[in-house]
Amino acid sequence: MTSPIPSLKAAMAAAALTVLAAPVLAQDTSPDQLLSAYEAEAGASADLARGQALFTGQHTGGKPDTPSCTTCHTMDPRAKGQARTGKVIEPLAPGANPERFTETAKVEKWFGRNCNSVLGRDCTALEKADLIAWLSSL
Amino acid sequence: MARNKTENNETQPGDAETTVKVWDIWVRLFHWGLVMTVATAALTGFFANATWLQLHIIGGLMAGALVLARIVWGLLGSRHARFADFAPSPRAVIDHLRTQSRGGTHRHLGHNPLGALMVFAVLALILSLALSGLGTLGGVLRVGPLAPDLGTDTGFALREAHEILALILAALIALHLGGVAFESWRSRENLTRSMVTGRKPSRSGDVRHAPVRARGLIALTLIALAGGGLAVANATLSGRPVPGLPTATMPELVTEECGACHMAYHPALLPAANWHAIMRTLDDHFGEDASLGTDDVAEITAWLTTHAAETVDTKPARLFARGPEDALAITARPAWQRLHADLPETLFTTQPVGSASNCAACHQDAETGRMSPFAITLPKETQP
Ligand code: HEC
Ligand code: HEC
Ligand code: HEC
Repeated sequence: MTSPIPSLKAAMAAAALTVLAAPVLAQDTSPDQLLSAYEAEAGASADLARGQALFTGQHTGGKPDTPSCTTCHTMDPRAKGQARTGKVIEPLAPGANPERFTETAKVEKWFGRNCNSVLGRDCTALEKADLIAWLSSL
Repeated sequence: MARNKTENNETQPGDAETTVKVWDIWVRLFHWGLVMTVATAALTGFFANATWLQLHIIGGLMAGALVLARIVWGLLGSRHARFADFAPSPRAVIDHLRTQSRGGTHRHLGHNPLGALMVFAVLALILSLALSGLGTLGGVLRVGPLAPDLGTDTGFALREAHEILALILAALIALHLGGVAFESWRSRENLTRSMVTGRKPSRSGDVRHAPVRARGLIALTLIALAGGGLAVANATLSGRPVPGLPTATMPELVTEECGACHMAYHPALLPAANWHAIMRTLDDHFGEDASLGTDDVAEITAWLTTHAAETVDTKPARLFARGPEDALAITARPAWQRLHADLPETLFTTQPVGSASNCAACHQDAETGRMSPFAITLPKETQP
């Protein structure tokens, strides 16, 4: 193709696509980076099975309406969940929702809230690593 | 039966019983049109919930329009259509009552004096109902031609008046039906059928009048002009800006942080005291941890309280602003519970709604904080 116009068009389309695809939130990290950071903080390596047990288990230490992560994220984190308010929650597994675990502040905020709601305490760095490892494996 | 082009008082030959034409076609159309529109407005007003409001308003406005047209016809129509034909003097009413109580049998072809009083009362009531209804629409729901002029104070007072007028009208209609039944029995004629056919049996002793020519064309012109005038007035009045509505657009911080677990509730749905209390206790937020950094808390609190229910003049703001302080949630406010009391519990707990807090599942305009009854759609199918 010799005409410069198609390539100009293609460049414009590419530029437009980049703009559209750019996430609203700043993406400063990835599941893998977070996983290794939490592992480094814990000084131990993550374990899928521990992560799954924590996520799908029923707990008693937290608030009575939220005994489990599955209360809102369901038994299958690749599927959409639902908050207690009826609002849909997009899938939590990065395999089903590439936006997950890409923003440190957001991940920290929700680990902070949800671990407190479900367990009645903060999750440890190792627990966070376990959870991300299991969720990323789905 | 061949249509007979007789003028008012001529009898129609060929009938088993000779009849005389009393009610012209317009009076009859008006009467039955009024029956239909008033029935629609009454049924939806007394018995249906807010999702039927649109039909209620259409019924009421059409009834009002019919009355306006009837007034024109009452001045320009045929003999028995004219108000002058049946407008009773106090004396006529008393005479009528006196002869009736003595068992008198003389009959009025048009309305008798008592019936005439009823006609005027019903017409006046329907007009006042249409007006107070428009006032309620403007004052309470803050839409329509009167919205810029009225606030919820006037609106709720007008709604009260509207309800009382409606009860009086219902009572008058009951009296009217009783009167028709009684008069039909007393004068041995079927008055209801007369209002369908327009004819009454001709009797010796009927009070006869000279025919009066209907000014159909002038009447039609007047009605068209009035209709056009009202449409223009409505458009002009409704086009004005309405003060006191929630207009602030929600900053992104609030949509993000307060819209993560549920729709971001409009600040006009709760009073400032509730927002303060909610924002102070985010770590134990209706059974969940919704904690935020102190800067974000301060910024969100400031915005929510500057646009709280006290700062606007809408029905939900007015209703939800009232209530005990410990009723923190919108759904815990007494007004919310009253408004939704007739809805089945399962509607809220089953899919697709899931929770009473999910206002947007039923209220299409939930983000705006208006909660207009015209924007309610209940999900058709629910499942556990
Ligand atoms: C009460 C409902 C609820 C419970 C219980 C719950 N979550 Fe969540 N979770 C949410 C909501 C709501 C969000 C944020 C909405 C969104 O981002 O789609 C969220 C977001 C998250 C995120 C943020 C991920 C990202 O990067 O976007 C993580 C991580 C998370 N939850 C983990 C958990 C874990 C682990 C548990 C159990 C300890 C848990 N959640 C229990 C409702 C819940
Ligand atoms: C972690 C999830 C979460 C976050 C974040 C959150 N809320 Fe809530 N909110 C809830 C839950 C759960 C309820 C209770 C819903 C129910 O009972 O159905 C609720 C209820 C409410 C209600 C009462 C709704 C009703 O039922 O009438 C208000 C008002 C409210 N939240 C305001 C806020 C504000 C303001 C923010 C932002 C500062 C916020 N919420 C952030 C979870 C959250
Ligand atoms: C399951 C569906 C549903 C949900 C969820 C719901 N509503 Fe409603 N709401 C209705 C229906 C239906 C009516 C009309 C009820 C009637 O007139 O009897 C109504 C009426 C109202 C009205 C009065 C409207 C009027 O002018 O007549 C307000 C205000 C209102 N709701 C606010 C809310 C708020 C705020 C929420 C969320 C906290 C909410 N509703 C949640 C269905 C719902």
